[in-house]
Amino acid sequence: METPTKLPPSSPSSPTTGFSVPSAEKVDGFPRRSMRRARQRRSHSSSQFRYQSSQVELTPLPLLKDAPVAELHDLFCKKLQQCCVLFDFLDCVADLKGKEIKRAALNELVESVATSRGVLIEPLYPEAIKMISVNIFRTLPPSENPEFDPEEDEPALEASWPHLQLVYEFFLRFLESPDFQPSLAKRYVDQKFVLQLLELFDSEDPREREYLKTILHRVYGKLLGLRAYIRKQINNIFLRFIYETERFNGVAELLEILGSIINGFALPLKSEHKQFLVRVLIPLHTAKSLSIFHAQLAYCVVQFMEKDATVTEHIIRGLLRYWPKTCTQKEVMFLGEIEEILDVIEPSQFIRVQEPLFKQISACISSPHFQVAERALYFWNNEYILSLIEENCQVILPLVFGTLYRVSKEHWNQTIISLIYNVLKTFMEMNSKLFDDLTASYKVEKQKELKKERERNELWRNLEDLHERRLQSLTEASRNQKNLQERENTTKSQSETSAANTT
Amino acid sequence: MEVFKLLKELKSNLELEVHYLPKENGLSLIESTTIGGNGVSAKGRDDQVEDLWSLTSFFGYSTQTFVLAVNLLDRFLAMMKVQSKHLACLSIGCLHIAVRVTEDECNVSSSHELIRISQSKFTVSDLSRMEKIISEKLNFQFKAVTALTFLHLYHAIALSHKSNRKDFLNLEKLEAQLKACLCRIVFSKAKPSVLALSLLMLEIEALQSADLLEIAHRIQAHLKISKADLAHWRGLVDQCMREYSSPECAKPDHKKLMWIVSRRTAQNLHSNYRCIPELPTIPEGAWDESESEDSSEDLSSGEESLSSSLGSDAEGLYFPSNFRSRACRPYLGFKNISLTSNWFSVPNNLNYTTHTQKMANSQHVL
Repeated sequence: METPTKLPPSSPSSPTTGFSVPSAEKVDGFPRRSMRRARQRRSHSSSQFRYQSSQVELTPLPLLKDAPVAELHDLFCKKLQQCCVLFDFLDCVADLKGKEIKRAALNELVESVATSRGVLIEPLYPEAIKMISVNIFRTLPPSENPEFDPEEDEPALEASWPHLQLVYEFFLRFLESPDFQPSLAKRYVDQKFVLQLLELFDSEDPREREYLKTILHRVYGKLLGLRAYIRKQINNIFLRFIYETERFNGVAELLEILGSIINGFALPLKSEHKQFLVRVLIPLHTAKSLSIFHAQLAYCVVQFMEKDATVTEHIIRGLLRYWPKTCTQKEVMFLGEIEEILDVIEPSQFIRVQEPLFKQISACISSPHFQVAERALYFWNNEYILSLIEENCQVILPLVFGTLYRVSKEHWNQTIISLIYNVLKTFMEMNSKLFDDLTASYKVEKQKELKKERERNELWRNLEDLHERRLQSLTEASRNQKNLQERENTTKSQSETSAANTT
Repeated sequence: MEVFKLLKELKSNLELEVHYLPKENGLSLIESTTIGGNGVSAKGRDDQVEDLWSLTSFFGYSTQTFVLAVNLLDRFLAMMKVQSKHLACLSIGCLHIAVRVTEDECNVSSSHELIRISQSKFTVSDLSRMEKIISEKLNFQFKAVTALTFLHLYHAIALSHKSNRKDFLNLEKLEAQLKACLCRIVFSKAKPSVLALSLLMLEIEALQSADLLEIAHRIQAHLKISKADLAHWRGLVDQCMREYSSPECAKPDHKKLMWIVSRRTAQNLHSNYRCIPELPTIPEGAWDESESEDSSEDLSSGEESLSSSLGSDAEGLYFPSNFRSRACRPYLGFKNISLTSNWFSVPNNLNYTTHTQKMANSQHVL
C-alpha cells in the first residue's frame, strides 16, 4: 500500500526536487526557491586572483611616523606602490609575511591621511588613485548561488576583505581630508573610474557596498563635473535592472545616495529629474525583490513630493498602474508607501487622485489576505488622512461604503471586522445623513439582488417542471403507440388464425 | 374600511403610549447633571445612543430594534440613578434585549460579539446580570409603543388614501430622521404620537402636498393633539433636522476607538520608512554642470579618460574662478567657506567624520 506522504516522481529540473516541508513561518504555499539547495556552499568566495607576472617580495619599510619630514612624501609613495601588490586570500597560508606587510602599510597610510596635515601633495594623487584602482577594480565572481535570495541566504563575503577594507578606508579618508583638492583629483577620478566604481555595487558583500555608498556620495558631492555622468550611469543600472536582468545587489545603496541628492534638488525641479522619477523610480516598484530596497525607494519618492507637489499625481497614478495583483507581501509594502505619501500630500493634489486611489483601497479592504485588509483599514487611524477624508467625505464615502458593509458580513478574520466597525463608526460621526442615505440605497440594492436571485431560481424551477412534463408526455405517447401496435398485431394474428380455421 | 381599522389602532396605541413614557423628572435630572460627575449626563446619554445606532447599523438590525433599545434605556435611566461607568453596560444590555425581542432568532448576535465589537470593558456575565436587572425594573414590558409605531401607522394611513399615489412619503427617510431625533435626550420627553406627527408634518411640508397635509390634520384631530404641543415639538424637530442635513462634516472623536491590528501588521508599522538617512544632503547648484550635461553625451565611457580635460567639469571648484571674488552665494547653503584660499573644502560640520569612525569599527554591516 502506498504511503500517502510519498511525493510524486518529478523530473530533476522540476521545482519540487529536494523539496522539504516549509516551516510555519512561510505564509504562502509556494516552496521557497532557496529550499532547493541541498549541497553545502563554500563560505567564502573571492574575486579572481590575478597572478602577477613576477611575484614581488615585499620588504618592510620604515614607519611613516619615524620618517624625517624631507623623506615623508617619498616613503609615502613607496608604501603606496607596495600596496599595489595583490595577494591570494583563498589560500589561507600563502605568503603570510607579505600579507602582513601590506596590511601594516595600508594601516599606516590610513592613519597618516586621517590625522596629519600637508600629506596630500600633488604627485601623490596619481599614485593613490592607482593603488586604489588596482586593489578594488576586479571582476566580481559569478554568484555561487544563482537563486540568491537576499532575505534568506547569507551573502558571499569577500575573502580579501582584510586588505580591501583598509583600501576603502584609505580612499574614504583621502576624499574627506581637509587637504583634498577636487581640482587635482578630477584628473584621475574620471568617468572611467566612476563607471568601474558603480559596477562594484553589484558585490554581494554588504560591507563593501556600504563603503562604496559613502565613497560615491563624497565623490558626487565634491567632483561636480562628474555629477551628470554619475546620474546617467545610475539610471542605466536601474533600467537594466528593471527591464533586463532583475539582478543587482546594490540598488538599496544607490537609492540611499539618490535620496540625499533628491533632498538637495534646486527648485524649480529640472525636467531631467522629473523624467527620472517617472521613467526609473516608479517602474522600480515592479521589481520582484522590492522588499530589499523598498524603504529607500519610498524615501526617494516622498522627497520628490516634498520638493515639488505637482509630481504627486504622476506618482500615485504610477503606483496604481503597477499595483501588485498576486503578491500580497508587495501589496502591503505599497500600502505602506501610500500612507507615507498621503502623510505629506497637499489637499489640492489629494482631490485630483482621490477617486482612483480609494477605489484601490476599497479593493484592498476586500482582499482575503488579512494583512492587506488590515493595512488598508489602518489608514483611518491616521489623523491627517482622516482630515483629508473628512473634507472630501461626499466623494469618498460612497466609494468604500459598499465594500465595508459587505466585508463586515463575509470576512473570516475577526480583527478585520472590528476595524471595519471603527471605520464605519468614524464615517457615521463625520456625516450621519450621507451615511444614512448610503445605508438606505445599499439596502435597496441588496433587496434587488435578492429578488433577482429568487426570480432566477424560479425560472430554473419552471424550466425543470416543463422538462418533467414533456418527458412525461413523451413516455405516455410512446406507451400509447406501443399499446396500439400490440393490439394491431393481436388482431392481425387473430384474423390469420380464423382465416386458417375456415379453410 | 382599511382606514377605519388603522384609526382604531391609532386610538388604542395612544392609550398605551403613556405606559412606556420615561418619567419626565427623571429625564430632567439627567439633563441637569454636569458632565464629568458621577451620574449620567445628557451628553453621556446622547453619546451612548449614538454608539447604539452604530452597532445597530453595523449588525444590520432594524430601526425598530434601535428605537426599542433607546426606549428601554430612557425608561431605566429615568427611574434609577445610574453611575456613568455603568452606562455602557446598561445600553448594550438594552440593545441585546431589544434584539432578542425584535429580530429573528438566527440574526441575534451573541453577547460576546456585541462586547467585542463595541470595545467594551465588561464581561459576558456582567452583561447578563445587567439584563436581568433591566428586565426586572421595567417589569418585562418590552413591547413598547414608540414613535416608530405611530410613524408606521401614519404612513399606512397616508398610503391607504387612494387619492394621493403621486405624493410619495418615504418611510425609510422618516425612520432615519426619527433616529436622528432620538439621539438627543430632549425628544425622549415628547409623547411618541406627537413626535411622530411632527416629523410627518415637516416632511409633508417639504413635499408640499395639500392632500397629505389634510390627512395629517385629520390624524391630529382624531388623536386630539393640541396645536400648542405640536407647534412646540415641531420647532425642536425642525432645528434638529437642519443640523442633521447640513452638508458639513463633523470631526469625528478619534480617541474613543481602539485600533487593534495583528502582530505582523504591527511589526510592519513600526519599521518606519522615515528613518533618518545617514547620508547628508548634497545640494544641487543652480549653475551646476549646465555644460557638462551636453559634453558628457559625446564622451564614450571607454578607453581614454578624456573627461578630465574637456568642458564636462569646467567648474571643478565650488566657485568658478570668475566668481571667486564675489560674495558667497546664499543659496548654496554652505556657511563657512573661506574665499581667500585657493581651494575649497566642505566644512566638517556636516558630520562626515562621525560616519567614517563608525565604519572603522564595523565588521559585517547588514
